[in-house]
Amino acid sequence: MSLALSTLIYEWRRYLAAVIALAVAGLLVLAMTGMFMGMALSFTATVDKSPAQIMILPPQAEGLFGDSGQPRRMIPMVYEHPGVAEVQPMIMNWAMWSNFPKDGQPAKGDGVRVVVVDPVKGAVTLPSDFSDATIEALKEPFAVILDRTSLGKLGVQVGDKAKMNGRTVTVAGVVDGYPNMFNTQVFTSYQTAKLIYVADDGPRVGPLLVKLKDPTRAKQVAAELNVLGAGQFKAWTREELSKSSQMGMMKEGGIAIMIGFMALVGVFIGIVITWQTLQGAILANIKEFASLRALGVSMGELRLIIIELSFWVGVAGLILTVILVSGVAMLAKVGGVPMDFPLFLDIPVAIMLMVIAILSGLFSLGILKKSQPADLLR
Amino acid sequence: MTGKLALNAKGLSKGYKIGKLKQQVLKGVDFTAYHGQVTMVMGPSGSGKSTLIAALSGLMKPDEGEVMALGENLWKKKRGKIDRFRLDHCGFIFQGFNLFPSLNATQQVEQVLKYQKVKKSEAHRRAVEVLDAVGLKHRLKQKPAELSGGEKQRVAIARALSKMPSLIFADEPTSALDSVSGQVVIKLLHQAAKERGAAVVVVTHDPRLEAYADRVIHMEDGKILSDTMISGPPVIV
Repeated sequence: MSLALSTLIYEWRRYLAAVIALAVAGLLVLAMTGMFMGMALSFTATVDKSPAQIMILPPQAEGLFGDSGQPRRMIPMVYEHPGVAEVQPMIMNWAMWSNFPKDGQPAKGDGVRVVVVDPVKGAVTLPSDFSDATIEALKEPFAVILDRTSLGKLGVQVGDKAKMNGRTVTVAGVVDGYPNMFNTQVFTSYQTAKLIYVADDGPRVGPLLVKLKDPTRAKQVAAELNVLGAGQFKAWTREELSKSSQMGMMKEGGIAIMIGFMALVGVFIGIVITWQTLQGAILANIKEFASLRALGVSMGELRLIIIELSFWVGVAGLILTVILVSGVAMLAKVGGVPMDFPLFLDIPVAIMLMVIAILSGLFSLGILKKSQPADLLR
Repeated sequence: MTGKLALNAKGLSKGYKIGKLKQQVLKGVDFTAYHGQVTMVMGPSGSGKSTLIAALSGLMKPDEGEVMALGENLWKKKRGKIDRFRLDHCGFIFQGFNLFPSLNATQQVEQVLKYQKVKKSEAHRRAVEVLDAVGLKHRLKQKPAELSGGEKQRVAIARALSKMPSLIFADEPTSALDSVSGQVVIKLLHQAAKERGAAVVVVTHDPRLEAYADRVIHMEDGKILSDTMISGPPVIV
């Protein structure tokens, strides 16, 4: 074991502040981005859990957000491909929700996003994780399904009645995994959607959900569909669309600036605390370093020891970050807050933490000037 | 080896600025040390003995004078070369031991050998051998916190000796130790001079150590007051 690593392990208390500072900086950035990613994920949950392997969007759309719809005649065009089994438009619409307050209960009114599904097992619009009981419940006219976390927000319990667009609906059940920070999602069947005036029969449709005869050929069929469409639409595989939609969420100006600012604050605090802690810890061993100098170890080699030390501090900080972030993720899961930590964010954050650690090490090198072996002579 | 000149310094002067006052710590000191001899530099605090060995060992550049160490003009060298010279030829023992708290006795020694580019297995063998020689065979795996003061100093000596230095500088090596441990330490230094032919320069104001010296130099106010050969004059080559 090297001198740097054994020093870090033996005198871990001295380095704890630096390790914690790094971990908190990492947590700060990851928790923020994790929350935004979670939000994005809750937007794309209906895509991620769709049994469709391919989605068709207008050619200019970069993801689910900002989709302006496309002509209905695209549907038969997609059917032209022999590998396609089923094509259905994804119907999402807005409705006004209000509860029937019981004694002392506050009246709740909110705009909700209605997601229209086919209550038939294996239907392309039906999320693949809906249970048989949920599917049965959706078959009843005026039945709606909510995410468990939305019950409080909408002021209802399972079995309660509520009003949507002026018609009375029944909360027939709940599902998990579809929380949404901004707008509450309500699932209904196509029949119910017609009854509450949200079914859309117009000439324009939203994204098209495409189920294939052979799901393993998704990539190839998507490419072939794009040739077939000749630029009138763009076919995405489900994974591509989900990722692109998340990225699109990040590109939304405000969020990127906020995360950027957070990262900057995290980096600044991380560097200052790590640097000061490292300096203090090195100063505590300065006589030992000086004795190495006396024995002829060059300044450059001492610097390498410090850099190696800061590297290990960074590694320790990373480990603690992983522990803290897992803790936060678990809490979020318990609390029903959607969070997601995609690798394309984790890796830059990990690199950032290592850079902070190494930079702090570089800043601390100056303190080595105090390792004057002549000072050891008294 | 006895009788061969290891250190030859001429006209060493060094002054420090303390505020507006410039204090002359060394005033034109000439100094020699021979292989195979323990040279003891004694004197009260502030007499300039520590500054003298700092200048002799390449730790602090004197204002004036030159040091011929093992036939090389030490202060004519570049900084990196002086480091290299110390790495190759010098062993140091300080009053404060200065051992890394996280390393055990064997690792303390190996750490230094690593910088001499000694192979790992060879470094380990040498570390165990030299620790055995200073009587710490049963303490190989102990960290400084688990060692007594005398044992720590013996680890520091082992660290210095493992490099097989031709020049050994010890600054008050016994002043933090009890008399028994002090005896062990000075005997080890004496042995290093006799068996390895090293030139050992010991700065101390512990009169008990005089019994192990081949030569005693008394300093006061930056000058050498007396220079006594105890074990007979060496043959000058």
